Amino acid sequence: MMIHWMIEGGIGHLKLNQPPSNTMTMDFFREMRDLVNKIKSAPGLKAIIIHGHGRHFSSGADINELLDNVDEQAMLENHRLFAQMEQFKIPVISAIRGVCIGSAFELALFSHFRICSEDAVLGLPESNFNLMPGIGGIQRVARLAGSAKAIEITLRGNTFPAEDALKMGLVDVVVPKGEVLPLALIFARELPENIDIEYRAFYLHKYIKPLNA
Amino acid sequence: MSQIDFATFEILNEVGIITLDLPPGNYLPIPGFIPLKIFKQWIGSDHLKGLIIRGRGKNFSAGGNLEQLFKESGPPDTMQCLMDEGIELLNCIQNLEIPVISVISGVCFGGGLEIALASHIRVASENALLAFPEVSHNLMPGMGGTVRLPGVIGWSYAVNMILGGDIINAKAGKEMGLIDYIVPKDQPFTFALNLMQKMTRDRPLKVIKSIMKSLKNARTLSPEAAMAEETKLFCKLAADEAERRKTEEA
Repeated sequence: MMIHWMIEGGIGHLKLNQPPSNTMTMDFFREMRDLVNKIKSAPGLKAIIIHGHGRHFSSGADINELLDNVDEQAMLENHRLFAQMEQFKIPVISAIRGVCIGSAFELALFSHFRICSEDAVLGLPESNFNLMPGIGGIQRVARLAGSAKAIEITLRGNTFPAEDALKMGLVDVVVPKGEVLPLALIFARELPENIDIEYRAFYLHKYIKPLNA
Repeated sequence: MSQIDFATFEILNEVGIITLDLPPGNYLPIPGFIPLKIFKQWIGSDHLKGLIIRGRGKNFSAGGNLEQLFKESGPPDTMQCLMDEGIELLNCIQNLEIPVISVISGVCFGGGLEIALASHIRVASENALLAFPEVSHNLMPGMGGTVRLPGVIGWSYAVNMILGGDIINAKAGKEMGLIDYIVPKDQPFTFALNLMQKMTRDRPLKVIKSIMKSLKNARTLSPEAAMAEETKLFCKLAADEAERRKTEEA
């Protein structure tokens, strides 16, 4: 299984499960599609935490597999899938440790909140491969950090440390790596079960920033 | 190098550079300070990967020359015509599918700020001053400033700047998100050129255009349409890249 899904105390743990780098393959997206449908009708679920198995969140899509199977319809479905997660009424929190780049960073950007370890490395390096971020990453970065930053990081394709991501507003909290999951759990319990992404700034100030202070 | 009355155009390492060229203030004699036809000729040349706009000397631009504007405008519809040319030029700049950086030294007022707002990235020198002073002449920003400014810094700051007409410095501009980078006063152009090269040097033009187009779509299309369009742009690049790799192997 590319994804390990477990519900514990009403909190859904979505673990990217292809260590060491938790690559997002076509199988991953297939499993993700089934899972999102399952989550939509899961009773009593109050929050979702997305994280990676082992040291890393994920290094993103398998580029060779992707280039061998360019399929616009499938890509658009993946894109809609991420967009559906953003529309969930229960909070979706990405707990980011280690590497989180490309499509994996896009997945995290579609979450409502991002908790990040100090040693995390983030970025959208697609332009280095003559590609572009294809699953909404550009728009999400523009919304969180402004379009100037979106142009800069997607065209440069450089990776950057958690601290820079925090300054740009691309992650919400940065903590030592051992504290990422515990903190994500606290947020998952504290946040209301019914949220509206329109009011992200409100939740951030009321729940997330004070708990980290 | 190409020159018209108020501006100069040159190309450096695939980057176009427009210099507003009426020092010291680089006033804009008319709203359409570069005729659209000439602007399109400049931009169409040599497959540019980026555009930098700066002012000659110490200032970016002090904005429209009001004396001249009132003298030349005559009846209201003549004024409307002149403004339309300016609006069309700025829209054209904002919609370019290559990154546009404004290099803001010294004064950046009125029409000057309108140009900076139509750019995608704003680099300011530490001594930059920004304002929409139109209100003190019983006027208002007329080339899209009232539309673009709230989009960049939010309504609260924008109402303050446009109704108050106050001058703000680079630091305040950075805090409210109007300025992306502040650099020492003799370095903004070098900094901007360096940033532009980091973004464009190793990138094929089609990658640059696809990314810029995707960002533009977010502004002009519905979220669903922008999503579909992005997927299409991505798949085109991916198909090209797959093809290129095959050819390379063969």
